[in-house]
Amino acid sequence: MTTTPDPRPPVLPLDGTTRLAGTRCAECGLPSLWDPPRCAGCGGRMRRDTFGPDGTVWSSTVVRVPVPGRTPPYALAYVDLDDGPRVLAHVVAGDGVTVRLPPGTRVRLTTSTDDGDVAVQPIEETAS
Amino acid sequence: MTSDRTAPQRAVTAAVAGVGTSLFGKQPDLHPSQLVWRAVDEALRDAGVAPADLDAVYVGTVFGAPGVAQRALHAMGITSMPIITVENACASGTTALHEAVTAVELGRFHTVLAVGVEKMTDQFAGAIHPESTDIEGRTGLALPSLYAMAATRYQALYGVTDEDLASVAVKNHAHAVHNDRAQYRTPHTVEEVLASRMVADPLTLMQCCPIADGAAAAVVRPHRSGTEEVVVRSSVLRSGGLWDQRCAHVWGYELIRDTATAAFDLAGVGPTDLDVVECHDAFTIGEIVTTEAIGLAPEGQGAGLLRSGHTALGGPQPVNPSGGLLSRGHPLGATGLAQTAEITWQLRGEAGGRQVDGARLGLVETMGGGVAGVDGNACVMVVLERTTGVRA
Repeated sequence: MTTTPDPRPPVLPLDGTTRLAGTRCAECGLPSLWDPPRCAGCGGRMRRDTFGPDGTVWSSTVVRVPVPGRTPPYALAYVDLDDGPRVLAHVVAGDGVTVRLPPGTRVRLTTSTDDGDVAVQPIEETAS
Repeated sequence: MTSDRTAPQRAVTAAVAGVGTSLFGKQPDLHPSQLVWRAVDEALRDAGVAPADLDAVYVGTVFGAPGVAQRALHAMGITSMPIITVENACASGTTALHEAVTAVELGRFHTVLAVGVEKMTDQFAGAIHPESTDIEGRTGLALPSLYAMAATRYQALYGVTDEDLASVAVKNHAHAVHNDRAQYRTPHTVEEVLASRMVADPLTLMQCCPIADGAAAAVVRPHRSGTEEVVVRSSVLRSGGLWDQRCAHVWGYELIRDTATAAFDLAGVGPTDLDVVECHDAFTIGEIVTTEAIGLAPEGQGAGLLRSGHTALGGPQPVNPSGGLLSRGHPLGATGLAQTAEITWQLRGEAGGRQVDGARLGLVETMGGGVAGVDGNACVMVVLERTTGVRA
């Protein structure tokens, strides 16, 4: 079940990190995942910008029912990117276990999935 | 309870003169027109209205074929008048009702039919397919997972338990035992609900409304002052605001809250005045969030209404006495008018084994969603009241 063009935000490798391409209002700073003619918040002009790589999980779930073109189960999270938009991402866990991430979990954008989805993985906490 | 009644901001002018529904459930052998005929015929008989008396029809459907209403209605003699089809996702039927009410209130039309229909088993075997032109649909966010996100958030923030979520389904299934038009009429325990297979964590299958085939209808005309009938105290339709990183509430909360505020202000009533509510329990968490957003409980405390029995039949403010979408089934375009039929029967005292004693003021609430970035495609709330028959 696909259509062209793909509405998902482009995932960019940039300076050794993964970022999302989108736009930001030149006047009020509101970020957008689209390329709209005017800011949804204030009507201002939108400029191209990139977002990420880090963010915080707002909420999360695991989809366990069939969806056309996908193989369940897969984990999804709404992620509030730091100074960026709230984006729906697939959760890629290193150990292959598909689980919900608790709200508040810190995550980082990673290479998009084979299906072309925005993807995040939990940031490993390291002792400093 | 103390009353929230204030001076209404408008005079009552529209009445729900008649309602009707098909049976609800998987009915693969029925043509969509057969569903419409059953609902419309019952509504017309209930209202004492002939097809020739109608001035216009508003139709709610989401996946209906082009011309789904005209295809059904011409065969029963409803022709040669404006027939207007609207789509607002799960709130399509209530949107049709809202437009019918508004048309009567403004004097555009006198006697108006609102009808909703959906034949879902022709199109889906399980969950509705995510919309591929939508960012989140294309990313694989099936509708159950949108509500599951809200449930995860409520579990983390407010300590809502899996058992709390399941208790919505337990309550509404217990109500549906008394509704012979419902898809599911079997009582279930919390354990059974939680043991059904996981759909989107933490929501199990029995916490998700089933797809269904069905139709429902209402006849709206001007209120006859001095008669005892079900009148429209207010009807409000809104689309959602931006739902983005600035929004601290779960999806839909602010839209439902703001629609309720507007509907209550217009009617001059408040949440404590409601005797009975039919609301959008497409998923168990939906009823918890909705009862908070309309003001039956403070934010984060909606599960308490279930623990105390406040919203069960026999409690002070029963919610979803029909069994709700969880039990009746959810034929998208028909649902809002099925809710309207239930509240109308409740206010007339015609709801049989699920009757809320003495119900006089009721609320219909439907929430349609699926578009990424907004707090809902549409929310419709209609406050209905049985008049006393005393001329104002």
